[in-house]
Amino acid sequence: MEWDFRNIDDEGELNLKKFFWKCTACGTCRSGYTYGPPPTFRVICPQGNKFGYQGYYGSKGKAALARWMTGCSYLKDEKFEYTPEFLHTLYSCTECGGCQNQCMIDFKPHIIDTIEAMRAKAVQDGKGPLKEHHVLVMSMKNNDNPYTGPRAIRAKWMKKIDNDSKLKDINKESAPVLYYAGCTPAYNAPVRDLALSTVRVFDKIGLNYGALGKNEVCCGSTVLRIGERDQFERVASKNLEQFKMLHDERGVDTIVTSCAGCYRAFVEDYPHSDAYKECMDGIKVMHTSELLYEKFKNGEWEPTKEVKMKVTYHDPCHLGRHLKDWIIDWDGSKQWKGSYLDCIDRGVFEAPRELIKAIPGIEFEEMKRSRNNSFCCGSGGGIKTAFPDWAAENASLRVEEAIDTGAEMIISCCPFCHANLNDGAKVIKSECKTMDLIELLDQAL
Amino acid sequence: MVGNTNILGELKGIVGDEHATSDKHIMYAYSYDMCFVPNKLPQYVAQPANVEEIVEIMKLCNKTKTPVIPVGANTNIGGLCIPKKDNTLLIDLRRLNKIIRIDEETRYAIIEPGVSHAQFAEELYKRGLRFGWPVGPPSGTVTGCAISHGISGMSGRYGLNSQMITSMEVVRPTGDVCRVGSCAIKEDSWHSFLPLPRMDGIFTGWFGTTGIVTKLAVYTPAVPPYVDVVTCSTEEIRDMYKYMLEFGRYEMADDLTAVNWWLSQVPIPYPYKEKPADQHKWNSYAVLYGYTEKELEAKVDAFHTVIKHQQELGSTVQVTEYPEEAKRGRTELPSQIVGSTKNYCKEAGGGISWPGTFTPANKWEEVYNKWEKIYKARNLSPATRITMYRGIHYGMLRAMTPINKQSPEETENAKMAIVEALGAILDAGGIPYKPPVDFNVEINKRADKGYLKLMCDIKDMIDPNGIMNPGQLLIR
Repeated sequence: MEWDFRNIDDEGELNLKKFFWKCTACGTCRSGYTYGPPPTFRVICPQGNKFGYQGYYGSKGKAALARWMTGCSYLKDEKFEYTPEFLHTLYSCTECGGCQNQCMIDFKPHIIDTIEAMRAKAVQDGKGPLKEHHVLVMSMKNNDNPYTGPRAIRAKWMKKIDNDSKLKDINKESAPVLYYAGCTPAYNAPVRDLALSTVRVFDKIGLNYGALGKNEVCCGSTVLRIGERDQFERVASKNLEQFKMLHDERGVDTIVTSCAGCYRAFVEDYPHSDAYKECMDGIKVMHTSELLYEKFKNGEWEPTKEVKMKVTYHDPCHLGRHLKDWIIDWDGSKQWKGSYLDCIDRGVFEAPRELIKAIPGIEFEEMKRSRNNSFCCGSGGGIKTAFPDWAAENASLRVEEAIDTGAEMIISCCPFCHANLNDGAKVIKSECKTMDLIELLDQAL
Repeated sequence: MVGNTNILGELKGIVGDEHATSDKHIMYAYSYDMCFVPNKLPQYVAQPANVEEIVEIMKLCNKTKTPVIPVGANTNIGGLCIPKKDNTLLIDLRRLNKIIRIDEETRYAIIEPGVSHAQFAEELYKRGLRFGWPVGPPSGTVTGCAISHGISGMSGRYGLNSQMITSMEVVRPTGDVCRVGSCAIKEDSWHSFLPLPRMDGIFTGWFGTTGIVTKLAVYTPAVPPYVDVVTCSTEEIRDMYKYMLEFGRYEMADDLTAVNWWLSQVPIPYPYKEKPADQHKWNSYAVLYGYTEKELEAKVDAFHTVIKHQQELGSTVQVTEYPEEAKRGRTELPSQIVGSTKNYCKEAGGGISWPGTFTPANKWEEVYNKWEKIYKARNLSPATRITMYRGIHYGMLRAMTPINKQSPEETENAKMAIVEALGAILDAGGIPYKPPVDFNVEINKRADKGYLKLMCDIKDMIDPNGIMNPGQLLIR
């Protein structure tokens, strides 16, 4: 199986270099701003907000890093060298895409690709990722998960499933829906209930579904984000082959996951494989919230129990603004070669909100930053592993924003956000906790 | 890491370890802006949190003769914050980002230099107030724009953003702190410079060579409830000038501007593209506000009266329909999308600059015709804007010039077009604003010797060690 990720030093007319040189350094990416009316201004870049210098801030900073890394044509006497400080800047971006949402020039669709290509280059040159990431990478190599947990305990969470659950062992039985739990609920104890809640909700709505248990393999998202493409390609290839087998032999036509990271990997990263179309033919990937909302809209179920709680919703980056179809004029027939024309937003924004609002007794209030202008919790892009204290500190800013709404609880749809926001609440000793949407729905059924 | 470790150590001692650096990749990120001025790496960047830290930094820089440049959001378009000398320290003011007070009743606000237009807009609009938002990135700083004589969507009526400043606090190059305006007499009173001597002139238009503005008070007019954008077109700049001259006499429009076909394309065609024969060469918009419906109606009536009169005189001017979206772009500022400078240059990519000038309106035609030839000869679009400021006695004439920064050759071509265009306008009495160093060479060649001597004397008095943005003004 071949993978076609872009490289920072690719040759060709429309290579990444062409696009990061399109950055005008205008700095619009520094803040989340909309005219409104009324105008609203918010900090949008967690990394810039924390570390402050140009170079850390938004896509303008990333364009500067990329130009510096690949040799600036205006500074012939200066030579790029890897330094610990450069790697700190490169690896302290959460890859949240907040800056991407502000940018309006041709660099826009290529911002996250540029960051990941720089990281991949650092890995290729033997300089990346950070030493704090090494445990994660070794765990992926040895255990097929980033949490240092042995393969054997991957399915341990399933022992707590009720005996009367309809969850099938898809290794042996057929089912149209594969529930892909992901590594975080399997290995990260604070969010283990997420998988159990998912199973309970699926049972309650009568879904015909199965899971892989110990045969489940990490989606690879965490290693891809830090530039470890070989490890990503290894596990992603295994998954694609397994998905094809499940489709052909077990009748799987839908893969559903409660993890925003896995979802993003399946729909945004896996298509970089030359075998993607063949392996995923006839298979639809859905986030749990999408699947449940679809069935809710069709009248197949509804929340029945009252949950008296005031809540707000945190948009995970990987389930929201990362999901876009970029419309680029590659051949120059509409504007000019490589021009950014538009994007089709595939972000899962409404389904979680509609499900929350459908629960009797729930009071819902939006945070000031939401949807495409949501403020990242600070966990992604390898940050939780390399900078755990800062990740929690950043999450505390988001918790404070949630507190401003009067919410008692933050609802999210990503186990990384879930865990990190709860860590953030601890930093500021807040009672405002985070729970996953599926846990809330479990209470309402 | 580059630079003198002792200086870096002292800087860290003042602002904290996390807020001073010499890391080369960070220096690189500060080594350029949107314009054509070549990269030059600073030696240090420090991010003070308050006036006291700035004072300490200035004392250190005087002691060590370290060049200093204050930086706001680094969104400059003239290389003003790019070092000209080795060993330069950039003072990044982003941590001084408080809106200290908005006086709703008397309509002025006091802000720190790191406050962005976006941040200021949010707070002002909550109170039904506004400011002169420039056609620039919302992340740009209010102070940087105002003290550099930046313009805005209100310049037709209120003048430059610097003309909206009412008081300021400055750290002088020596580290002394001073106040200028009413706040110098009473600490909490920032309403006006007048009737005191206008010492604010020492700190506006000097491009970081005379001090660091640490607090700025600006006039913040109310948002009128009624607005309209009236538009017209002409085939020649002469007809457009005459229309603007007549309508400008009424001093009614917040913004009275015309752009030629190349600039109205957004993005500007790069390289040069011929204007289609069926499209107007010049398009004008005037933004009219009213506190009552009648007031606005009267302004719109005046516009039509002027158009009719010009047509009777044989002008090609005609009223045009303007798309609603484009109208909003003229009133919904600051704008992330429509008004932002980046959109003009995205076909070329990487940068933009201009021969941006204040020029008597009666010279527009003469200069523009020269510019058109200069730009076409270099295969660049003569994307020109003309705007009346505060009535009609002077106005803006500028050609937005996209730059392909990936190509040093194309960058040089754009730069040469700008420099040649500058020569033409200086000869006609125009003055460039926010000028890159190359412009100052041309300005100073033509300058009165007494004027230059006065500048030198002021500079020597206020900055005895010549540490602030040395090489920017080239006055000696």
